Amino acid sequence: MEFLLENILNLIGFLVGLGIGIMSLIGFRNTGSPTLFRLSIAFFSISIGFFVIWAGYMAEDFVIKSGSMERWVQTLGIAIQTVGYFFIAFSHSIKAFFPKSSYFRSVGILPFFLVSSVQLEHLFRSVSFILLAYGAIETMLSYLDNRNKGAISVSIGLALLALGEFLGWYSFVFPESILYTVSMVIKIGGLIALFIPVSKVPLTKIKFDEGLE
Amino acid sequence: MAEYRTHMKIIGDILATTRDDLQDEDGATVTYLIRKANISHSRISRILKTLVSQGLLEQVDSQGSNKYKISQTGREFLQAYYKFTSFADNFGLSI
Repeated sequence: MEFLLENILNLIGFLVGLGIGIMSLIGFRNTGSPTLFRLSIAFFSISIGFFVIWAGYMAEDFVIKSGSMERWVQTLGIAIQTVGYFFIAFSHSIKAFFPKSSYFRSVGILPFFLVSSVQLEHLFRSVSFILLAYGAIETMLSYLDNRNKGAISVSIGLALLALGEFLGWYSFVFPESILYTVSMVIKIGGLIALFIPVSKVPLTKIKFDEGLE
Repeated sequence: MAEYRTHMKIIGDILATTRDDLQDEDGATVTYLIRKANISHSRISRILKTLVSQGLLEQVDSQGSNKYKISQTGREFLQAYYKFTSFADNFGLSI
């Protein structure tokens, strides 16, 4: 059951990320907007992150058959997704994400070299949670400004992804519980909520115009 | 409080004015565009120069003064701009 859900989640994540990434890229090519450029990087990263984990599970299931997926593959996929979540949050103008002190900046990267891949996964999941929660709150605030109904769905989607990420991280404490399964179901719901308003944007008659770059 | 407009939004406003809100068939003067787009002369001059060089606006010499009209490429750009503004709105973002 967990394996099936994991595959569904990663496949949906890959497709939703790819779909929104392509739309953002078309938008960037047509308008030259830096916001759409950041969104395309964000969603292509999310898509690649989900794909890496999905490919890891597929390789384990059909080729390696060792009984459990290599931990570093999962960590790599989650790390790539975190980059995507960072760019979503960055699009909302994160101004104080990096410490101003050069000392803290230089030691800030140390944990990446000092901890194991399992601890790195904890780290990426917790950073993802913060970025997703930030994105969800900012999107909800923008809804309060312009009353665009699509923003509610995206905000709920990001909030569900954040909750799923939190439960996924918390399930390390209770490894045999239902928490991880619940986190995957919540994340699938979040991805669907994220795609609903985007799927309604009419993209007919939009074409690439090389002259506008 | 005044709403912050991105560079892209200002371009959208200028193109929309030259498409929907022209003074006459020859096009819009710089003064008219300044009033409609609500930006300074130096800034609009730079933007108009870029838009003409990108082929989004056509510069027309009318009775000794420059006027600006939207081109076909400009119309397509504006259509894309509106669609992707709605796309970005879903994420609570401005393009």
